[in-house]
Amino acid sequence: MDDFMAKVTTSATMLLTGFTVVFSVLLLLILIIYVYGTIMYKLQNRDKTKKDKKQPQTEEKPVTKMPAVQAAPVASNDEIPGEIVAVIAAAVDSMYGDASGKVRIKNIKKSGGRSPWANAGVLDNTRPF
Amino acid sequence: MEIIDGFVNAINGIIQSSGILHLQWQNFVMIGISIVLMYLAIKKQYEPLLLLPIAFGMLLVNLCPEIMAAQQTTLMTAEECIAAKGSTSGYATTVINGITYYDVPTYGGLLYYLYQGVKLGIYPPLIFLGIGAMTDFGPLIANPKSFILGAAAQIGIFITFIGAVFLGFTDAQAGAIGIIGGADGPTAIFVTSKLAPELLGSIAIAAYSYMALVPIIQPPIMKALTTKKERSVVMEQLRPVSKLEKIMFPVIVTIIIALLLPDAAPLVGMLMLGNLFKESGVVDRICKTAQNELMNIITIFLGVTVGATATGTNFLKPDTIKIIVLGLIAFCFGTAFGVIFGKIMYKATRGKVNPLIGSAGVSAVPMAARVAQKVGQSENPSNYLLMHAMGPNVAGVIGSAVAAGVLLSVIPH
Repeated sequence: MDDFMAKVTTSATMLLTGFTVVFSVLLLLILIIYVYGTIMYKLQNRDKTKKDKKQPQTEEKPVTKMPAVQAAPVASNDEIPGEIVAVIAAAVDSMYGDASGKVRIKNIKKSGGRSPWANAGVLDNTRPF
Repeated sequence: MEIIDGFVNAINGIIQSSGILHLQWQNFVMIGISIVLMYLAIKKQYEPLLLLPIAFGMLLVNLCPEIMAAQQTTLMTAEECIAAKGSTSGYATTVINGITYYDVPTYGGLLYYLYQGVKLGIYPPLIFLGIGAMTDFGPLIANPKSFILGAAAQIGIFITFIGAVFLGFTDAQAGAIGIIGGADGPTAIFVTSKLAPELLGSIAIAAYSYMALVPIIQPPIMKALTTKKERSVVMEQLRPVSKLEKIMFPVIVTIIIALLLPDAAPLVGMLMLGNLFKESGVVDRICKTAQNELMNIITIFLGVTVGATATGTNFLKPDTIKIIVLGLIAFCFGTAFGVIFGKIMYKATRGKVNPLIGSAGVSAVPMAARVAQKVGQSENPSNYLLMHAMGPNVAGVIGSAVAAGVLLSVIPH
């Protein structure tokens, strides 16, 4: 009985100590990181707004006029260049062609949000299992 | 005739000293287990970087136990010393009851010397140095609340401690078994080497096996504790974290943890030093060494020597089965508490936090975060939880090191 009570005491002490210390230390870290994160964020925003305010002043007095650069033609959603379509089709075929027979690509359009590189990174990180 | 006698004697000597005559049945069972582990590492790729050296260390020590034998000194009289070594010169002497004895050393096996890095707690912090140099704490800094999930997942450690105490383990052994729930190999080895070195082989194998089985163990628990609606939550994109914040993070964490929990300082200190190498951007060469060469060398030494502690007589005991079962319980409780706290955060934020990311609080970087991503994406294919899960995941590494510090400071060793 004494042995049982000793075990209960040890267990309860460990559970209470562990729970309290781990949570206290990590909560303290949350607080500190939150505070310095907020300070940093505000400082950076202040610097940014200062820069933004300064920017127009420097632009007002250009030394020489630069020749206008023509904007590169931007492909609209419906005007993706043929080479790009061919590359995408080849990539899709190499991924799915063998498994499901012939693949027909009906539509290719740009998706918003995540960049292709970010998507590739996410795919790479989630594929192995 | 003399040549034949010499030949027979030499062959006889080789046979006598070979393992064939000295090995016990337990050694042969362990050789079989090591081959199974090698198969799992090579064919199934279960944590191969560690499981392969562990399995080979296990094979070596069970074929040739002398490879792990400790250095010894034998006291010999002058006659015995001359008979054994040919002379008495070069040996220290000890006088007992007026008789002079020569201290003749027998050197230890190769793995005995390499094992000192485990025994003295050197390798795990060095592994943490490499992990720190590879870890991006950005998601944690962007969302510091992730620390709560990293802390919640450590509850499994302390619950398993209770189970181990009631199963008859000593407090020190129970602490070492509980730390399996931290799902962090170096931390488990660090704590076990200090609290219960006799259980090192079983605990290391249990810890690494469960880490390899994260994609199998965690999803049923995650699904059982969450609803479809909760699993489908799409979280807001994390804010960008500046370089200065990333540089300050390791310094701040080290100051807080080393001050409050000095026992956790070797692990957390090295983790944060590695991270400072990475984030400062001014010691690229050192950072690359910590990430690659140093990490790989220590991994080899750690794996082989931890495997070498799993001798037949040490490993094939009912206690090993208890450790493996308790380890699984620790892991399951860790995952469950992470998800439960994730649910609390889901409620508290009115549905802005996906509770699945709580499961990543059990360390096992980055596999646990990948599992959260995978389970979340199975409900909503356009949901990307990976970066959100990386916050609790790296918080879990710090959390398990803090839990290790608690165990080491509370349990006498």
